[in-house]
Amino acid sequence: MKLKQSIIIALVLSIIGIVSWELYLRSQGLYPTIDDNEALWAMQRQRVEKATKNDILLIGSSRVLFDMQLNEWQEQIGIRPIQLASVGSSPLPIFHDLVNNTNYNGTIIIGVTPGLFFSTTFPEAQPWQWPQSKVDYYKKRTYAQISNHLLSLPLQQNLTFLSDDQGVDGIKLKELLGKIKIGNRAADPMPPFHEFGEIALDRNLKMKQITVTDTAYANSIKKVWMFFGKDAPAPDKKSTVEFFLKDLKIFKERGGNAILVRCPSSGALRAGENLGLPRKDFWDDLVKQADIKAYHFEDYDQIKNLTCPEWSHLSAKDAQYFTTEIVKIMKADGALSHFKTN
Amino acid sequence: MLFNSLSFVVFLIIVLVLYYSKIFNWTGKKRMLLFASYVFYGLWNPPLVILLWISTFVDWFTGKKLATEENKRKRLYWLLLSMFVNLGFLTFFKYRDFLVDNFTTVVNTYGYGYQSSKMDIILPMGISFYTFQTMSYTIDMYLKRTERAKTFLDFALYVTFFPQLVAGPIVRAQDLISQFYEEKRATINQFIWGLFLLILGLFQKVVMADTLLSDTVDKVYSSDKILNFWDAWMGTLAFSGQIFFDFAGYSTCAIGIALMLGIILPDNFKYPYASLGFSDLWKRWHITLSSWLRDYLYIPLGGNRYGVVRMYSALMITMLLGGLWHGAAWTFIVWGGLHGTYLILERLQRQYIPFKITKWNGMFLAFTTFTCVNITWVFFRAREFKTAWNMISSMFYLNPEGEKVLGSFDILKVGIIIGLLFICHWFMRNTSVEAVSKKIPPVALAVIWAIMIFLVAIAQGSGEQFIYFQF
Repeated sequence: MKLKQSIIIALVLSIIGIVSWELYLRSQGLYPTIDDNEALWAMQRQRVEKATKNDILLIGSSRVLFDMQLNEWQEQIGIRPIQLASVGSSPLPIFHDLVNNTNYNGTIIIGVTPGLFFSTTFPEAQPWQWPQSKVDYYKKRTYAQISNHLLSLPLQQNLTFLSDDQGVDGIKLKELLGKIKIGNRAADPMPPFHEFGEIALDRNLKMKQITVTDTAYANSIKKVWMFFGKDAPAPDKKSTVEFFLKDLKIFKERGGNAILVRCPSSGALRAGENLGLPRKDFWDDLVKQADIKAYHFEDYDQIKNLTCPEWSHLSAKDAQYFTTEIVKIMKADGALSHFKTN
Repeated sequence: MLFNSLSFVVFLIIVLVLYYSKIFNWTGKKRMLLFASYVFYGLWNPPLVILLWISTFVDWFTGKKLATEENKRKRLYWLLLSMFVNLGFLTFFKYRDFLVDNFTTVVNTYGYGYQSSKMDIILPMGISFYTFQTMSYTIDMYLKRTERAKTFLDFALYVTFFPQLVAGPIVRAQDLISQFYEEKRATINQFIWGLFLLILGLFQKVVMADTLLSDTVDKVYSSDKILNFWDAWMGTLAFSGQIFFDFAGYSTCAIGIALMLGIILPDNFKYPYASLGFSDLWKRWHITLSSWLRDYLYIPLGGNRYGVVRMYSALMITMLLGGLWHGAAWTFIVWGGLHGTYLILERLQRQYIPFKITKWNGMFLAFTTFTCVNITWVFFRAREFKTAWNMISSMFYLNPEGEKVLGSFDILKVGIIIGLLFICHWFMRNTSVEAVSKKIPPVALAVIWAIMIFLVAIAQGSGEQFIYFQF
């Protein structure tokens, strides 16, 4: 065997292959992205261990991720919040973790997406299981997992082909093969789903501009919301509110400041929310029982008419505006009274 | 630490640089390897390194005593001490909840109303592997089949050597410790071949097992529905491929990494899916475990020395315990029982209906063996008997109206991969990757190598754990 010859040729061919693949992906308009995985969430969760009364935590679903911009928060109050929101998630498991597994007694902004907040407390249901898996990962992560993630971040930031996007935007071998369909045997009823956000290391997430400029792109995401909305199980208001209030009581007793925020939605999704989870019965009742500061976008002229390109989340530009305005409203209301203002 | 992770890439580079630098003499290199092995293990769960230390100290001390003690009874006590500690840890960490559950079920059938609480104990990674490895040393010392390790460092490194620590191959003392006595350096060809094996192993794990087969398996075995014939078979065939590529991939990586250090580890797989019967299968599948079970369980139980009944009993007990070794569940025991039954039936066939294996009936025999192996995989993969029975009934076409969960492409993909896997094993059954590599032009080997690297690069995921780590 002429192994020296083989290894040199193999290395050259591998490098040519990988570089070509990277260049091809970039020529298709793709670029390096960071994966919003459990490890990235855990990095932010770690920061809570040293957080003080002067910190702010953001929890909730993807609406908090898209709509609450960290730069604008920082500009308004001089503090960069810790972003712990999780897509497709009820905020309850993460709030439960923060209340019961930390001594944190600062401010927590809790995003209320009615279809998720009031959905369930059943551990196997997706709105519960997804955020709980992040909490569990944080508790159980190994040093090897931490070092793997730290090593992967510079690669994720510089190499397109490492993108962990899934579904129609996926470029890993498994995702590429998953796009091949022959016939309709056991066809997946879910419409194709595009990744429409880009996340940074501190989990500040912005909507991709294509969602704003390309109607077909936005419509494909709307179809997914319709798909999920169509067969959504009935909300479990009693259990979810009881669960939340129990943790809230503990948090308030140790001096914590919890604030509820209802981020904008629009179009048919909002109509569906109003129909299935009427504000009066859900949001208003929750606010009354929680007895904490609460802000619903519909109550403020400056933000009530914001439109979501795909019905559920704000564009990057509108998210900056929304964040600025909602923080101003909170400040004016005294909800953030102990933070310095500019 | 997983071989298919970035941390391991950095770890291996550091180890290789230190190993081939002139900073250390051979003893220093061995100390470095030992320290690196503890880091390799400890990065997963540092406190559990203590178990490794206890196992190492107990067996070193026992070996030392057995080397000098001539009193038979005392020798037996020392052996029992070692087995008590090693099997005690294994039982506590791996089988405690299983035993308590079964105890509770049994006593409650008599109306005692006993309540037990699960401890949710973490299963120390690779405990079944290193326990068997250290036990082999002590048993061999007791039977005077091996020399005592010359130094504690050599012995500790034998127990902890990171390439094979968590998922084998399970190496005998005489095969590994003696390699630590003199300085080892890989030749340039050994080093490059070791690197090739590492890439081949990663390709098997990352591309074949995790990328091409795992989703199909998960889709089928996580379904709570009664499945269609094709879905049940394809899910099971996909699992047969997944577990082979996953485990053989780990072993190939381990052998390759050790070779890069100049250390030779034994083969663990020899194209098992082209086995001509079940005796042949167990000489080709997880060879180091099956030979361990043969030498330390089957033969001490009597083997074939005391008549047919005793032989079949020994065979069945060995396979049942072999099943239990894989996991604390009755499904694993049934898996072992099926293999025991197959082995017994095969021996009966050889005795009463002997026939000569030719090229043509050989392929049929290999196909039949592979088919029967797939039936056993159902019990290995299913978490519950209900799932297993549903799968088996679908595979025997008892649910023609069963649910379809796989797309046509999935079925085609699995069919092609497993078909090629079977054919590959058939043509490779009497040769090796190394022998074939010697016959092909260096450029062809390079192209294959480059394709594997490229596919590993574009397939890499979040570093799925190797299936056998849980055993």
